[in-house]
Amino acid sequence: MSALAEIQPYVEAFNARPHAPEPAWLARHRERAMRRFGELGFPTRKQEAWRFSDLRPLQGAAFPPTAAAAEAAPADVAPWRYDGAAHRLVLLDGVFAPRLSAIGDLPKGVWLASTAQTLRARPDLLEPALCESDALGAQPFVALNAALFADGFVLALEQGVALESAVEIIHLGRSAGRSSQLRNLILLAPGSRATLIETYAGEDAHWTNAVGVVAVGAGAALRHVRLQHEGAGAIHLGHGRVELGRDARYEGLILSLGGRLARTDVDVKLDGEGAVCGLYGATLLRGEQEGTIATVVDHAAPRCTTREYFKSVAAGRSHAVFLGTIGVRPLAQKTDANQLSKNLLLSPRAAIDTKPALEILADDVKCSHGATVGDLDEAALFYLASRGIPVAEARRMLVEAFAAEVIERIEGDAALRAHLGRHVARWLAGGVA
Amino acid sequence: MLEIRNLHARISEGREILKGVDLAVKAGEVHAIMGPNGSGKSTLAGVLSGKPGYEVTAGEVLYRGRDLLAMPADERAREGVFLAFQYPVEIPGVNNMYFLRAALNAVRKQRGESEMDAGQFLKIVRAKLKLLEIGDDLLQRGVNVGFSGGEKKRNEVFQMAMLEPKLAILDETDSGLDIDALQTVARGINALRGPERAIVMITHYQRLLNYVVPDRVHVLSGGRIVKSGDKDLALELERTGYGAYGDAA
Repeated sequence: MSALAEIQPYVEAFNARPHAPEPAWLARHRERAMRRFGELGFPTRKQEAWRFSDLRPLQGAAFPPTAAAAEAAPADVAPWRYDGAAHRLVLLDGVFAPRLSAIGDLPKGVWLASTAQTLRARPDLLEPALCESDALGAQPFVALNAALFADGFVLALEQGVALESAVEIIHLGRSAGRSSQLRNLILLAPGSRATLIETYAGEDAHWTNAVGVVAVGAGAALRHVRLQHEGAGAIHLGHGRVELGRDARYEGLILSLGGRLARTDVDVKLDGEGAVCGLYGATLLRGEQEGTIATVVDHAAPRCTTREYFKSVAAGRSHAVFLGTIGVRPLAQKTDANQLSKNLLLSPRAAIDTKPALEILADDVKCSHGATVGDLDEAALFYLASRGIPVAEARRMLVEAFAAEVIERIEGDAALRAHLGRHVARWLAGGVA
Repeated sequence: MLEIRNLHARISEGREILKGVDLAVKAGEVHAIMGPNGSGKSTLAGVLSGKPGYEVTAGEVLYRGRDLLAMPADERAREGVFLAFQYPVEIPGVNNMYFLRAALNAVRKQRGESEMDAGQFLKIVRAKLKLLEIGDDLLQRGVNVGFSGGEKKRNEVFQMAMLEPKLAILDETDSGLDIDALQTVARGINALRGPERAIVMITHYQRLLNYVVPDRVHVLSGGRIVKSGDKDLALELERTGYGAYGDAA
């Protein structure tokens, strides 16, 4: 398709969208964002951030937003549920599904609702979720998302509120040839604390384009797990924008297992002195899968800490990509940042591209980065075989161990670690040849 | 049980190390293979267990009448061949218990036995741990991760006790052990002696043989077995060294 033809279905969807009663500022924002998407078009490989991405699965067909959500029963949600969560919000084809959700009793000072509900009841909360960069930035899919999003979720905690039980968001993308444009917002006021698990699932060739905005206020702490286990034909683009205040703590873990084409971008700005950011992730790929993790961490305040640890496993003809940038501004003295990308190449036809980068403009900092690509440890494989464990199982055990090292970063929550471990095991049951 | 005939082997693309080994071990017997450094002891253990990186250039090995060299390493193990490693491998992230259970169930499946349930398994594990004086905490760690040298060797014999092989090959299991650990390991090996089982101990020193008395002792030198005898041969070697066998080590 030509560049114009590619964007045409989305322009049409924008023009044909139902005119829900929206605040004027939002309508203006959407118009600007749509114009921006039209200017940017689909990214090309000439752009550094997309040079390793093969977007043909997305560009080869149109994925207009779902007109009417597919049917789903509680049994469709059950396999994805995390039993440790006390509050569950389910979205189906990009739209809140109240019958499948179990929001539960929310403690005082906690807001958990769909984006559309929030827009009606608390539009004040939502304004920060839509920012200048939607219409001015260089991210076409973020701009498109701003123009088209219908729903999503909002989790907002008031000052000092500690939410002891985990909040779970499950998104099922079930309509083939359609897209879910989700706009999510997580606002933690100073001193508050929460654990959030987002799970993205679905069986069909559905495009999920999720943009999440996260603001963690002074002294607040968020543990944020993002599990992507969509079907083999799915396209998943996730973009998270995280801002951390003074002494805020953010711990983000990405487990990416599904999809034909999956990319997760995380941009973190450490904007207050003493903020701590941990970013961890494992991407497991086989067949024709392509999986990308792209992180940009911006140290904009002194004495902040970043720990990045990302792993990928590429089997079959798959392609794993890691792009990681840590920037340290001149003011951000005493920055302590490190970044490590470890990768397993399990097949001669698979490919891994990893590109860690540091851009340091302050002089009193401690920063390091590194990347490795290798095969499974030959000595370990022989040791397992020498005890009678069949080779295929031995390989599976070693891949599981490789991924487990990332999951273990979630300290003090054995139930959550076990939940993620089960997803890895489920993926591994499909074979790592 | 084991019959090695004119075995020649080399490190892949390298020089020949085994130059015609002949050895027959019957069920119920314990054999010791002694020899100087570089005589081919570890190569022999590697070739018998199917370790990658070796190439057999001539000869054959029969295990219970079957061509051992034609079997992949995991199949050899399931058929009852066990190698206690000289340098056990650390495998971070693979839990010791999980590993052991996978191994035991693979071996049991081959024998036509059912998978063991968790309770049964734990009971046997506890008994064998006690025999080898290994603490329970070891089981919660990764395979060999954070183990001392002595713990690793005890863990090898513990695995052997769990898997109950028909043919056990111990590659320098005594090296690096203090006297207490040596006695513990020896107790573990002796507990496994039986009419249905053959044990081949590869060792540089005679020390272990005070505690596990062999039926036969062989001297491997220059890639061949140059002398065989009973347990007294080991004592003689302890006195005279390997000098008489073409190596001063």
